[in-house]
Amino acid sequence: MSAFPQTGVELRRAVAEARAGWNRLGWLALAAIGVVALVPFLSLPGVRLDALANTLYLALAATALGLTVGSAGLPSLGTGAFMAIGAFTSALLVARSGWGVEPAALAGAAAALVAGLLSGGVVRLRRAFVAVSTWLLAWLVWLFLLAFPSVSGGSQGLILPQKTLLGLDATPTVHFELALVLLALAALAIAAARRGAPGLELSALREAPALATSLGVGLASRRLAAFAATATLAGLAGALAVQLQAVADPNAYDPFLSFKLLVAVLLGGAAATLGPAAGVALLGVINLVSGPFARLLHLPLERFDTAVAAVLLVFVLALGGEGIVPWLLARLRRTEPLEPRPAVPAAPTGPSPHEPVLRAAALRKAFGGVVAVDGLALELARGETTALIGPNGSGKTTALRLISGASRPDSGVVELGGSDVTARSTGERVRLGIARTLQTTSAFSELTVLENVLVGRSVRRPYAGLVRTALATPRARREAEAAEVAALQALALVGLERAADTPVPELTGSQRRLVALAAALATEPDVLLVDELAAGAGADELDWLAAVVDRIRERGVALLVVEHNLRLVRRVADRVVVLAAGATVAEGSVAEVAASGVVQRAYLGSQRL
Amino acid sequence: MTIALQVLVSGLAAGAVYGLFAAGYSLIYRLTGIVHFAFGDLVGLGIFATLLVLAGTTPVSQAGATEPRFVLALIVGLVLCVAAGIATYVGIVQPYLSRGSTIGWVAGTAAVAFAIRAVIGATFQRSSYVFPDPLPFHDVGRSGFVRIGGAQVQARAFFVIGLAVALALGSAWFLEHTRYGRALRAVADDAEGARFVGVPVELLVALAFGLVGALAMIAAIAAAPGEAVNANTGTLLGLKGLVAALAVRFGPPLWAFVAGLVLGVVEAAIANVHIGSWQLGPSYREVLPIAFVLLFISLWPSPEALEERE
Repeated sequence: MSAFPQTGVELRRAVAEARAGWNRLGWLALAAIGVVALVPFLSLPGVRLDALANTLYLALAATALGLTVGSAGLPSLGTGAFMAIGAFTSALLVARSGWGVEPAALAGAAAALVAGLLSGGVVRLRRAFVAVSTWLLAWLVWLFLLAFPSVSGGSQGLILPQKTLLGLDATPTVHFELALVLLALAALAIAAARRGAPGLELSALREAPALATSLGVGLASRRLAAFAATATLAGLAGALAVQLQAVADPNAYDPFLSFKLLVAVLLGGAAATLGPAAGVALLGVINLVSGPFARLLHLPLERFDTAVAAVLLVFVLALGGEGIVPWLLARLRRTEPLEPRPAVPAAPTGPSPHEPVLRAAALRKAFGGVVAVDGLALELARGETTALIGPNGSGKTTALRLISGASRPDSGVVELGGSDVTARSTGERVRLGIARTLQTTSAFSELTVLENVLVGRSVRRPYAGLVRTALATPRARREAEAAEVAALQALALVGLERAADTPVPELTGSQRRLVALAAALATEPDVLLVDELAAGAGADELDWLAAVVDRIRERGVALLVVEHNLRLVRRVADRVVVLAAGATVAEGSVAEVAASGVVQRAYLGSQRL
Repeated sequence: MTIALQVLVSGLAAGAVYGLFAAGYSLIYRLTGIVHFAFGDLVGLGIFATLLVLAGTTPVSQAGATEPRFVLALIVGLVLCVAAGIATYVGIVQPYLSRGSTIGWVAGTAAVAFAIRAVIGATFQRSSYVFPDPLPFHDVGRSGFVRIGGAQVQARAFFVIGLAVALALGSAWFLEHTRYGRALRAVADDAEGARFVGVPVELLVALAFGLVGALAMIAAIAAAPGEAVNANTGTLLGLKGLVAALAVRFGPPLWAFVAGLVLGVVEAAIANVHIGSWQLGPSYREVLPIAFVLLFISLWPSPEALEERE
């Protein structure tokens, strides 16, 4: 019962937010849609409405592809296959089973979704393999349609009976308006997803998959979501377009369709949500203009179009082109000075210190004949900083990788809070409370500082999936606000709260390492593994770094720092573990280890200085 | 038994051509990390240039081909194919490769593929052409067919298989034992390292782009008079080669060649073999291998095929 007033509050809030976020571009887009919606009623001379409606459906598919290409960075050459699957599913249901257009279109979208999920295993692959696999998918579907005339209606195609759409006669006008509404809704949903957590995570995975996965962002699941969403919308577009055309012709779905969609996305610009639709419009204009030229040269128009589109694409790419719409937006958008962010309350402190939280025993890892870690045992307690030191190649980073789950030990166990996590993946361990910073890649340079830290927040955001974010459900929006607060708190902990909106390339090396530390902190770890925090740091920066490590320790986190800078070690370590050739050779307080002379022997062999 | 022999010989003949395409894809992938989507169409360009010199754009009969003219035509075709291959690398692939833009070379090579197909299709507008045959296979056996153990086999098939195997083994020997070949393997191993020790990487890779086209084109032309050709011939051969290369996940070129042979036999078997009254039939010939390889790569990717992760 009480749902109603709450919904009212949510609605008012949503409207207020929309108003706050509304700008010139929003009005421009709304006005453009309004003008386009009037086109069917203007009875313009020489304009074929069915062709226009068809172009809008194509724009819908291209907009969907923008998510896969622009956000996920996957070069998909198979979108036409999903359009074909949607088209022939809906065509068969209407022509052979007498279904109505609407349920048949939904069934077409569902079939494309299933196909997207089935072929979605390829998103785990390198981009070259993604391109080949999707290319083969486009060929597979087309060759299937050609080889099985019983399904596709052969060279004549499937003839579809005239039906009603949304209770009206399915005229080109009705299709035109429906396609326009669907396109606008899809663009809004995709824009919301790209601005929200899914877009951020996909960008992170695109730029530095290793860093993103170390923060617990699941590569396969996030990319599959984008790929399947593209497939579904392309399937819906195909399913409706085929009803408009009133015939399902296999030849309309040859692999060139997939290529054309990719060309549209790249011409219009994958970085902007409306870029692909603009690309489709541009291809349409090229088609209109090139007609006379093609006749002049006695070329079939289709072939001529192909060649022109291909040449244009190569030209745009050669100019280093980001596409038309991003180029325009960069010129239209006013850069307004950022308002200072309101201060966030300090994060609550963690549980009581000195309670053991992580135990590793008898860890062993060999690469071929080289034993990198040999029977390592470690115990980490809350509120305690353990430093892992040793010469190059002594197995420090391998030890971190074994504890974080980046690689599996040949034998031995890792226990977190008393339960065995040895078989768990990195993502699961991050969720359970083991976070790690990387030695090689520290921060995503295409994101701002705050966005970097938000990537670390994704394991704590159960409601930030693609669908929820695209629909902007109340929970998703509340979670987004909470995530931002948590990210700012993590930034405050490393002392970078003022740099929240700074692009990463403007930071120093040490600052980038602190951003990485904040991202790891945003996962709310019990155990934090830090690889080479002070690498390349100047003497003046050491104080700051030491203070940050101490602040984190005071919050009840168990820290394990791998460090070459022994001055930092002396400042922060409660306990030092010395590794040599993969095994512990000394362990104790800084003073004890320093007194034993083991460190000197480990680094320098038996010679004396 | 009769059918099995027929399937084997005709399958191997088709597969030998696929194999040379597959080896080309695989070599290019290992050299540069790219998949050359225009490979099939570039070879198609060479084939049709040869046809153009031989007989113009008219549907050809046997009478058109004389030996000197054929040699001239073949040379023109090969030169064009090699030059277009090199141009594709220099103009389309290399700029994006050096920028690290995957989408750039994917879209760029695909654009070249479609542009070439458009040009061929616009020049040769009929749905099929007969490629003239300079070699007198027609006179072997009964109008080109020989009987072996009760099976009717095209005499040309043996020529195609022999030629392709010789080309494949020859190139493998070349990669193994010559300076140029060793340099190419060094590039495949570690392009940066090779550049550092003074190997002219760009030049070698550009030449390789041209030469793999020439190899595939020779095999395709040897097989071409066997059946009708059209604007899609190069594209489809390229597609089959790509399927075979993907099946060995762009492994060593010789493996890719063998995968091509296997693909040819599998296709022939799918089309012709029946067990009792149960038969898949020609409809499945094209689609089943692609579906299978796609499933294979998405379910069992090799570690190198997977996106780098921590």
